[in-house]
Amino acid sequence: MLTIIKNTFREALAKKIFIGYYIFYAIVVLFMVFLVNMDAVEGVMSLADEKAIVHQVETGFFLLSWNLIIFFSLISTASFIPSMLEKGTIDLLISKPISRPMILLSKYLGAVLFVFLSMVFLLGSIWLILSLKSAYWDFTFLLSILWLTFAFAVMYSIVVVTGLTTQSTVITILVNFFLIFVLCPILSIREAVVFSLVTNETVKFIFDFLYYILPKPGEIRDITNAMILNEPINVWKSSLNTETQTFTVSWMSAISSFIFCSAMMAYSIYYFSKKDY
Amino acid sequence: MPVIETQNLSKEYSSGFSKQKVNALNDFSFSVNEGEIFGLLGPNGAGKTTLIKILLAITFPTRGNAKIFGTDVRNHKAKAKVGYLPENHRFPNYLTGEQVLSFYGRLSGMKPNDAFKKRIDELLELMKLTQWKQTKIKKYSKGMMQKLGLAQSILSEPDLIFLDEPTDGVDPIGRKEIRDILIELKSKGKTIFLNSHLLSEVEMICDRVAILNKGDLVKEGNVDDLTKAENIFAIHTVEPLNIELKQKILAIDSNAGAGENEINTEAGVDNLNKIIDLLRKNKIRIQSVSQKTSTLEELFINVIKKDNIS
Repeated sequence: MLTIIKNTFREALAKKIFIGYYIFYAIVVLFMVFLVNMDAVEGVMSLADEKAIVHQVETGFFLLSWNLIIFFSLISTASFIPSMLEKGTIDLLISKPISRPMILLSKYLGAVLFVFLSMVFLLGSIWLILSLKSAYWDFTFLLSILWLTFAFAVMYSIVVVTGLTTQSTVITILVNFFLIFVLCPILSIREAVVFSLVTNETVKFIFDFLYYILPKPGEIRDITNAMILNEPINVWKSSLNTETQTFTVSWMSAISSFIFCSAMMAYSIYYFSKKDY
Repeated sequence: MPVIETQNLSKEYSSGFSKQKVNALNDFSFSVNEGEIFGLLGPNGAGKTTLIKILLAITFPTRGNAKIFGTDVRNHKAKAKVGYLPENHRFPNYLTGEQVLSFYGRLSGMKPNDAFKKRIDELLELMKLTQWKQTKIKKYSKGMMQKLGLAQSILSEPDLIFLDEPTDGVDPIGRKEIRDILIELKSKGKTIFLNSHLLSEVEMICDRVAILNKGDLVKEGNVDDLTKAENIFAIHTVEPLNIELKQKILAIDSNAGAGENEINTEAGVDNLNKIIDLLRKNKIRIQSVSQKTSTLEELFINVIKKDNIS
């Protein structure tokens, strides 16, 4: 397993897209270093207390970049599965005394670990810069490394399934783009927006059904932000307090995303184990 | 115990949108013994690669079963002592030659110790790739890639080695080197399963061959036996044959060819003996009697032609 994971890292580092990926991260980090002014007299620190400002920068950063980071990570790793399935490559892998589920899981874990380390670099750097500039060390922010990696891992399970069934990098990217930027955001606001426009119960049921079974990368971000802000998190259902207009996220988004990811990976392993190459 | 054993192996593929069934293998039963170099021959689409893929569980049979070292091929542990060089193999091109061997060696279960490194160096030396070991393989020529592929397939010192077109893209000197390596592996008791279009090469190194056509096993046996032309004999004499004697020979076998000191007959063993009796009766000394042989290529073409007609 370690051999395949190590090779996945090599594959990742050999791809030119990762140069762009890290240039993007470096720009974000440099932006934090030079442009975010947290000076106590001239900067934003003069306006409010350091803790609130740091939290605002952190959650604001995720609001802007959460889905983009996941999508960039997916673009850079989407070719791992189709390239593994190329004729002449897959034959050799399967001919080795390793089970097919182990090959697939190793490839999956390799991609997830690579993105985890990238998140350690990006979010760790941001945390360090914010902490040094503000003198407020928000350790909860570091949990976002795990949450962002988790959100990536969930969406990457879709890459694995589409990669295995279509052997096309382009299709896997398109499917993920549609889910992350179109379908999942629409499903998240279905009660507030869609249901006010649609009266048909069947359509409502379909929206609800899709909402509960599909992953929720945006709501995983909301959980992360709630943890950073030390806000309460419901167990099963998100709620909106109409009086205070405050929205409370629920763990259900993470749980259902985890179940979705497990189901996708179970299907992928089954499919990969039965497929002729 | 045979190293490879298959029973009634069949493989059907669905083809195109109509899902029409195509038989890649039909009721294929055979075995390969330890220490043999076994050659698999057949025209394109005969089912050769399908058979190798089934034996390595890369593809699954529709019916029947296959065993390697007595273990069902679906059990991945059966491949612990197996090496494989696929046709048109594709190694990760971001690796160097040394890293390729290290990667596949580790996947074969080799431990990353000094002996492992030594083995990699040995094989790179054997394949004359030492000076290229730190070079990314995307800069390798086709022949170098093929040699690296062969090194990969024998790296873990497997007892059974599947080679699918191992000399493809290799120059004649390289081919000779590969043949020598295969013969050396055989001398070490390794079993080699060879799939090659180069029939002269197969003839030179294989002990046994099987000929596949349209998924059917149409001929199987020892190379020497198969290439012996049935009922065709040549008799060489010490004394020259006179006209009278030649006419008597033609009376026994009207199609016989009689030269100065040579008679060729295709009329079977009985007539051969009649001709020998005639020669002895006429005090003609016999220098040699030999059964004519055909090349593997001639045999292959004849067998495939006959099978296609039938």
